[in-house]
Amino acid sequence: MIKNYKMEPVIERNSIPSLLKILSSDYSIIAPQERNGEVVFDDLKDPECLVLGYKVTILPPKKYLFPPEEILFTYSGKGVRTPSITSKKLLIFGLSLRDLEAITQLDEIMSTPHPDYFYWKRRSRSILVGVTDESVHAPPGGDLILERMDDELYRAIPLTQAGKKIVKGRFFKKQDILPHKGEGNQVMEELRKLLLDPETLAEAVKWSRAEGHPVWEELGKRCIGCGICTYVCPICHCFSMENSVSLDGSTCTRCRKWDACTLPGFARIAGGYDHHPSQKKRYYNWYYHKFVRGYKEYGKSQCVACGRCQTYCPARIDIEKELLGIVKDYREACG
Amino acid sequence: MKNLYAPIRARVTRIEELSENVRLFRFKKDRGRFAKNHGGLTFIPGQFVMAGVWGYGESPIGILSSPYEDSFMEILVRKVGVVTNALHRLNVGDEMTIRGPYGNGFPISSFEGKDVVMVSGGCGIPPIAALIEYIIQKRERFGRVYLLYGAATPEDILARKRLDTWGRHINILLTVDHPSPEWKGHVGLVSEMVKDIEINPLNAVATMCGPGPMMTALERILRPLGISDRRIYVSLERKMQCGIGKCQHCVTGDSYVCIDGPVYNFDEIDKNWD
Repeated sequence: MIKNYKMEPVIERNSIPSLLKILSSDYSIIAPQERNGEVVFDDLKDPECLVLGYKVTILPPKKYLFPPEEILFTYSGKGVRTPSITSKKLLIFGLSLRDLEAITQLDEIMSTPHPDYFYWKRRSRSILVGVTDESVHAPPGGDLILERMDDELYRAIPLTQAGKKIVKGRFFKKQDILPHKGEGNQVMEELRKLLLDPETLAEAVKWSRAEGHPVWEELGKRCIGCGICTYVCPICHCFSMENSVSLDGSTCTRCRKWDACTLPGFARIAGGYDHHPSQKKRYYNWYYHKFVRGYKEYGKSQCVACGRCQTYCPARIDIEKELLGIVKDYREACG
Repeated sequence: MKNLYAPIRARVTRIEELSENVRLFRFKKDRGRFAKNHGGLTFIPGQFVMAGVWGYGESPIGILSSPYEDSFMEILVRKVGVVTNALHRLNVGDEMTIRGPYGNGFPISSFEGKDVVMVSGGCGIPPIAALIEYIIQKRERFGRVYLLYGAATPEDILARKRLDTWGRHINILLTVDHPSPEWKGHVGLVSEMVKDIEINPLNAVATMCGPGPMMTALERILRPLGISDRRIYVSLERKMQCGIGKCQHCVTGDSYVCIDGPVYNFDEIDKNWD
């Protein structure tokens, strides 16, 4: 008789707050919670406030590994001091599969060609736990993934030693699991399919500009250059430096802050020459990085179709629709 | 793991006023000498440093001094923005900041055994100057070597003394747009000096650097000489914040000017959309 089930670690939905309570003695816990009708990642003070089964958070979890601003060094006459990052270890709980995938990509980006000191200081002290309603076929990253079986039960898929350690705890038990078909994530489902063929996407985005496709002229006019799409993107990672001096002139500080390649002046050099002088060029550069340069560098598009850029674009640019249109026109033109 | 964003302290040991808004800065490390790479050089000609002033920031600036020199480095700074203005306010003995050297530099070993034509204008001279210093040290390994250098007026020709020294080892063709009464050299476009160049175009490389005249140099000098685009090297200028391939400001096409550049062969970049 074919055995079509196997013993796997599971945890009950009701036990998750207690699990987090125990883990909070070793870790600062970050988890999705409701704030003003939206779901955001925040410090989890009360495990009962945990929100699971949400669609998407406003800001991606990258803010905990690559904060919107951080001091790179301070300098007093005595020398350069790098700030120490010694806070409690971080446990980010409730990540979607797409956010896990984005962090896997960021790990690679922040290692190449040299490891980014600040990112890795945080990342190496963090544990990632995904929670999903989808079926997990190829785990995209993280230390542990909890896959929802039904309203009561989650299957635990530990992926690292740290994940295995959590699963050994008393809230997990072994149980026979029947093959289970999870719910799909409906967000940007078409773009998701397109991302499986990043080469075509790269060729299409490149082709569209070279052939003067009208979409860039139009999007260049619609984009208001606010930078929101890059801030809410779980992979975008560009930054600028800001220098400041204390009032008494005794110390100076260099801080890096999130920047956005769609903002005016991003590629402007001293003296005024601008390598990306128009909104059209800057907006195109955003796509070019994600789908062409990013693909050439890492072999995949720098996009996980999380849907945030589209949801929060104040100009209501339907990024998925535009990309689908470009690829369709490319296929028609180039067979 | 190192904090690659933290610069080292350097001390200004010499300042030369080269023109109204261009100064040469010589600086040394606060402690010790500059490290040498496996080729015995402190940097590869064409590489740059992130040079700055505490509290003001830093800018990518090409290194001018000889790559064999490990006790100091020199840069030319044109006063144009916040950081370069702060650098111009420094005096000898003041502290400045350095990160690097960064970037790829010229593919110098592939230049050996070939004729070399270098075209420069205004303050595009630093990377070329370092390359010349390198070539002069190993002069017998290179074929015929030319420097074509054009400036607006004789006063705008930077590093005159060095040109005299270099002139003993390589051919230097100078030209100005507006001569002074004492000027005895060539007047007019750099391209008019093509007829004075004798090279084997099939075994030659070229470099060009400088603000305006790059395309002119390409169209009127290097292509007419018969040098292929793949052997014509240019140094690009871009905004930079990190210098190590992360911050995204310096992109061109599929590459980062800070790590894949700043030196490219012309064929690599002439079809880049930006």
